[in-house]
Amino acid sequence: MSQNILEVTGLEKHFGGVHVTCDIHFAMQEGEQSAIIGPNGAGKSTFMNLLTGYHRPDAGKVVFAGREITGMPPHKVVRRGISRAFQVSSIFGRMTVSENVRAAVQAQMRATFRLFASARTLGAGETERMLALCGLEGKRDLVAGELAQGDKKRLELAIALAGKPRLLLLDEPTAGMSIDEARSTMELVDRLNQELKLTVLFTEHDMGIVFNHARKLTLLHRGEIILQGTPEEVRANETAQKVYLGEHRT
Amino acid sequence: MDIAPYALQLFSGLSRAMVLFLLSAGLSLIFGVMNILNFAHATLWLLSGYVTFSIFTFLSQQFGVSPWLLLPAIAGAVALMSLFGFALERLLIRHTYERELPEQLLLTFALVLILGDVIKLIWGLENRRINLGVRPIEMLDTLVNPYQFVIIGTGFAVAVGLWLFLQRTRFGKIVRAAVYSRSMVSALGIRIPMIYASVFALGVGLAALAGGVFLPLLPMALGVDLDIIVQCFAVVVIGGFGSMLGTFVASIIVGIVYSFSILFWPDGALAMIFLIVIAVLIVRPWGLFGTELRS
Amino acid sequence: MTAKTRGPWSRLYAGFGISGPVTLLLLAAALGVPWLPGEFWTHVGTEVLIFGLFAMSFNLLYGYMGQISFGHAAFFGVGAYATAMLFTALKGADGQIGIAEFLLSLLAGPPVAALVALVVGFFCVRLTGIYFAILTLAFGELLFYIVFSWYTFTKGDDGIQGLLPPPFFQDSTNFYFFTLAIVAVAAAVMWRITESPFGYALRTLRDNQRRAGFLGTNVRVHMLVNFVLAGTFAGIAGALWGPFSRSVNPGLLGWGESGIAVFMTLIGGAGSFIGPLLGSVIYTMLQAVVKMYTVYWPLTIGTIILLIVLFAPGGILGMIDKRIQATRARKDAAGADAAAAAPAKEQRP
Repeated sequence: MSQNILEVTGLEKHFGGVHVTCDIHFAMQEGEQSAIIGPNGAGKSTFMNLLTGYHRPDAGKVVFAGREITGMPPHKVVRRGISRAFQVSSIFGRMTVSENVRAAVQAQMRATFRLFASARTLGAGETERMLALCGLEGKRDLVAGELAQGDKKRLELAIALAGKPRLLLLDEPTAGMSIDEARSTMELVDRLNQELKLTVLFTEHDMGIVFNHARKLTLLHRGEIILQGTPEEVRANETAQKVYLGEHRT
Repeated sequence: MDIAPYALQLFSGLSRAMVLFLLSAGLSLIFGVMNILNFAHATLWLLSGYVTFSIFTFLSQQFGVSPWLLLPAIAGAVALMSLFGFALERLLIRHTYERELPEQLLLTFALVLILGDVIKLIWGLENRRINLGVRPIEMLDTLVNPYQFVIIGTGFAVAVGLWLFLQRTRFGKIVRAAVYSRSMVSALGIRIPMIYASVFALGVGLAALAGGVFLPLLPMALGVDLDIIVQCFAVVVIGGFGSMLGTFVASIIVGIVYSFSILFWPDGALAMIFLIVIAVLIVRPWGLFGTELRS
Repeated sequence: MTAKTRGPWSRLYAGFGISGPVTLLLLAAALGVPWLPGEFWTHVGTEVLIFGLFAMSFNLLYGYMGQISFGHAAFFGVGAYATAMLFTALKGADGQIGIAEFLLSLLAGPPVAALVALVVGFFCVRLTGIYFAILTLAFGELLFYIVFSWYTFTKGDDGIQGLLPPPFFQDSTNFYFFTLAIVAVAAAVMWRITESPFGYALRTLRDNQRRAGFLGTNVRVHMLVNFVLAGTFAGIAGALWGPFSRSVNPGLLGWGESGIAVFMTLIGGAGSFIGPLLGSVIYTMLQAVVKMYTVYWPLTIGTIILLIVLFAPGGILGMIDKRIQATRARKDAAGADAAAAAPAKEQRP
């Protein structure tokens, strides 16, 4: 059995009196591609916030690649190899598409304290690679804030990939995309997972995408894991249907 | 120990605190509801002082000099300035709600410069003051201007009134709800623009009241507004943005610290206040009574 | 496609944005200033340069990092005082100072300003937005009152007088070119920094600070480094101020002075590198002219700021830049139409 790349034990978080994450135990193996599902407010985004250091957990442990990262600030977590793309696209709106990616590449190179290097040339090759990978070559000089929603999400992904992660967290990667855009985005994610052996964890509302692209599912409900298993197992499970799948059968 | 100087400073500190409170309460409400930090708030206060002075002078010429004429003069100034505040919000301030913070600050700062010169144009360089001819009374081994108690009383009365107003009236409840969540209020179908203009008018009205009440104690002079506005910022930061109780307590802290510092470090009284501001911002950026908001 | 038809101005624009052509124009104008009749404009020109540098240093915080400081003058003032104090210590009993001592005293300003900025910045970079603005204001005012009331050390509100530079620099034209050289070098260094990976990391902080952390950028440390850099450049401007005006006073640290940098930046345009310098040209020259005729300078500048905030939020350069981009987009669209139409024509017999 291969080594777990991510191991979460007993993770807890509450805001005020509300438990948003209760005693979560969760593990991922290197090269896995899995999804977290659950209704709105189930605690999916909070879970990602806890993994990436945006929130500090009240209890529990997060171990990544054999080292504990619990409570580390985001920039340190990123340097350990976890990148993240956000649900509400959270790009750098006044910079162009290529500047967005380039800044991410240069941050990954730890070059951001080089006061006299030229930002235009440093990491230019890698930037182009990321733009091509995410299909953004044609939009490189557009101002990011003015992109269409689908393009913003792809830029979001390009920025996350520029961090050269071992584990990629995607919070609703296809939200706001057309069906075609969503398909090509998920194909890209599959390719990253298969060719580059990138471990991928994503949340998603579209069950079609979840069942087609995740090999393991974790169902969150009110901050608790109520079910883990393969797509087939989850599909067959009654609790899962009641809690979540039911409301999406329209 | 000779307590006379301390008693003197205590009373002047409390009366200063009340003026700061009247100003900061409006500043804090406006910030809470509209998210605008009004740099011109103290300049509007200064303008109110001059307006009160002119009405008082006019009334004195009509009806003969009497200290009681201050009351209608203040009432007139409050009414005029509230109207002015309402118009100001409708004409200028509302254009900046969607703008970035620096632009909002600069718009209201432009008003500081413009209104300051307007005062200079209308009233000239001379300081204005109303002498009520009140005789000082002897207490705690010293002579105290009893008018200070009028100011302190007014401050407390307004504090209580404002609190009741915010707790009990429909308008007050809407305002408090708006501080909490603007989108919620507009979802309720309440006409936000009228609320904004009214809150701005209310804030300016409170400043006008402070201006009028202050007039018999210290002269209105050009440039004082700049000193006062930074102290009001200090009050709002120390108390916590949007918290009335915080504003009240912080006003007293700032007023008292200021007047007692004068005893020990005359040039550095304001420095002491800035030290407190720095300490609060470092340790508790949301202020003593504010609530911590996660960004 | 349109690249072939672009002239030298367009190429300059492509490389440096609106700052490229404007810098060249300003530089040409700057070299001509001393030939204007009378010493007056040379004097105003020197002031334009010093305040332009100060405003550009402010824009490192505002335009590039997205934080507004109302206490930036503290570093300008501290730099001015450091230079003034060393100047006073080095000058002879006859009030004269040698060239070497003069240059040495100028060197004192920037590092002292940097040191103070390091201490102040350590606390300020924990906050953002309105809290950052008020904390910088509070620190600035605190420093102002320290300088104002520490009479034995700073001479309090008397200020420090008699900062008469060596004879060569007493000539206003010589001092002007000296200032021009220093400001030009400082601006070139700042330009390098803003176009470096560090400069782009700052832009990510401006646009989305939370996300910047998720790139692996240590937000606070980057902010602090930039705060110190901005303070240092403000200190260079401050160091030049004393010998230029022959005196320093505590007002140089006050928030009114900080406001001037904000105004200049806003007028010229925070979105472009050279904007604050252009703002200084407009502000300082306008002030010099208006003050000849009226005491109502605040009313004048207040009205200008009001109009800019309401009608030209990007400042003057922002407005021009928008126009250029709109024209280009139109031309490109027209060009694309023409290109699309061309093959159709060829197919016609």
